[in-house]
Amino acid sequence: MKTLSAIVIGAGQCGLAMSRELTWRGVDHAVLDRGRLANSWRDERWDSLRLLTPNWMNGLPGLPYDGPDPDGYMTSAELLGRFERAAANGALPLKTRTRVLSVRPGTAGYAVQTDQGQMQARAVVIATGACTLPDLPECASDLPPMLHTTTALHYKRPEVLPDGPVLVVGASASGLQIARELALAGRRVILSVGTHLRLPRRYRGADILTWMEALGLLRMPYGEVDDIDRVRRTPSLTLLGSDEPRALDLNALQDMGVEIAGRLQAVRDDRALFSGGLVAHVQVADLKLGRLLDTIDTWIETAGIAGLAPPPERPVPTRVPAQPRLGLDFDAEKVGSVIWATGYRPDHGFLRMPVFDRHNRIRHDGGRVARGLYVMGLPYLRTRQSSHIAGAQDDARALAASLFADLARARAA
Amino acid sequence: MNLQGEMRAVDNGVNTEALMGARATLEETPAAGLFTWRATCDWVDGTHTRSSVEGFFGLGEEQTRTRRFTFDADHPPQFAAADNGATPVEMVLSALASCLTAGVAAVAQHRGIQLHSVTAKVEGDMDVAGILGVDPDVRNGFSAIRVVFEIEAEATGDEIAALVAQSQKRSAVFDIIANPGTVEVSAA
Repeated sequence: MKTLSAIVIGAGQCGLAMSRELTWRGVDHAVLDRGRLANSWRDERWDSLRLLTPNWMNGLPGLPYDGPDPDGYMTSAELLGRFERAAANGALPLKTRTRVLSVRPGTAGYAVQTDQGQMQARAVVIATGACTLPDLPECASDLPPMLHTTTALHYKRPEVLPDGPVLVVGASASGLQIARELALAGRRVILSVGTHLRLPRRYRGADILTWMEALGLLRMPYGEVDDIDRVRRTPSLTLLGSDEPRALDLNALQDMGVEIAGRLQAVRDDRALFSGGLVAHVQVADLKLGRLLDTIDTWIETAGIAGLAPPPERPVPTRVPAQPRLGLDFDAEKVGSVIWATGYRPDHGFLRMPVFDRHNRIRHDGGRVARGLYVMGLPYLRTRQSSHIAGAQDDARALAASLFADLARARAA
Repeated sequence: MNLQGEMRAVDNGVNTEALMGARATLEETPAAGLFTWRATCDWVDGTHTRSSVEGFFGLGEEQTRTRRFTFDADHPPQFAAADNGATPVEMVLSALASCLTAGVAAVAQHRGIQLHSVTAKVEGDMDVAGILGVDPDVRNGFSAIRVVFEIEAEATGDEIAALVAQSQKRSAVFDIIANPGTVEVSAA
């Protein structure tokens, strides 16, 4: 069997970026994908989804955004078209419909078993993404068996849900967007809210991510971050990509008729039981938002551009119902479906090596797992941008250099 | 974040180094974090009871402490009782306030904020039609609980709000009250 220098698993933005870096360095490699190019962007997103990052942040390897609307938010379809162009630009050594079943230490590095046969490589890059599996709470299995349930990974559009109110569990980007779309479609929505963040789409005349970039928040290296483990578990930025910039927060949703309740704690006797601590979660999100906006205001003052930007403003504190509901009787309230938007996790189960911590998360140092073994695309892998489309390129550059050094060391040994 | 020099000057009487050390230890040996707390309650007379707490299980073994603590509970004359102690529901409110206040002190220490005074005022609303069995639609427990903190500290209003928020996030009693749990009562 021929031994490749490297195998990249996953043909999304990370796999593409890594492949391009490896090609530049003359490293022979293959890119494997269980489906097609950008598979999860194709099949595992809801129909109306637009990217949360403005287009100037959505460049692909060798294909910076060149469209007419750098401040807009592209649809998944537009992103897919750009993926095709980026892949056609370089000679991407892509093997589609090749599912990796296991990766084990091998004689010359790693043995990669796929459903199309066995392969060998001196180095392996795992670029299968951070959002491959829905991360469900334990109580998910206690729901009445007849109740229709789905997850943010599988949800497509309001019309395919059975009639009746919808319980959306989770108030990060996915949960808020799905709740909004359902409310717009005339559905009654109950949104269960746990730990979350609150962000305006725009602040003082610019996209909030533009300010975060200006502040250096997107590029701060993982080694300089206080308590990186906690930061890596932080919920997603609650932003909405749409044709016009729009705020997506609990006030906006309540204005549309969405009812908010506390974190879903348990399901008992066909009733959902919510935490009575909703106010605490909401207050924390408002406080963190205030701190971020203070930091932006200070930066604007220091940069001496206060005259150019609209004056500071503070969003209205998040409203909470006087008596938030503590329970939801699925039967009595004729609930039609439950949508789990409780987060995602990567699927690294094919790695048959002791590289996981006790929470089954892969251990890595800025993406380097072991000699010749790398992972990409995880939250705050190297910077906050690591999980953004364009952020894959900086990470690929750094990790490809490290991988190249691994190969050189192996040759010397 | 405050400078190191300021951090050292702050003293709220909380040994955060020991607490952070414990956190690091639990990362390594999670089983040490499994505790069982106990209380024993004896009936005295009428609605008067006396509870005591002494040992507990934790850090992998049975633990002892320097003293045994006792608490008398009873009901006021308005409930035709002898008023030998606080009512159990007042003890719950006290427990909530104690837990949150201790949390405020610990978080303030960790964040380098000097406290001068902290007072938590707690109120719980209850319709006793529930416990008296007058109306089956009324719950026995509190319909609402409010905690208001009065804090004097070397910190901004936002920093104090963040202390209070973090103390809720890390409070056992807040969680016990705000979230459903399982209770099993049986006769031995």
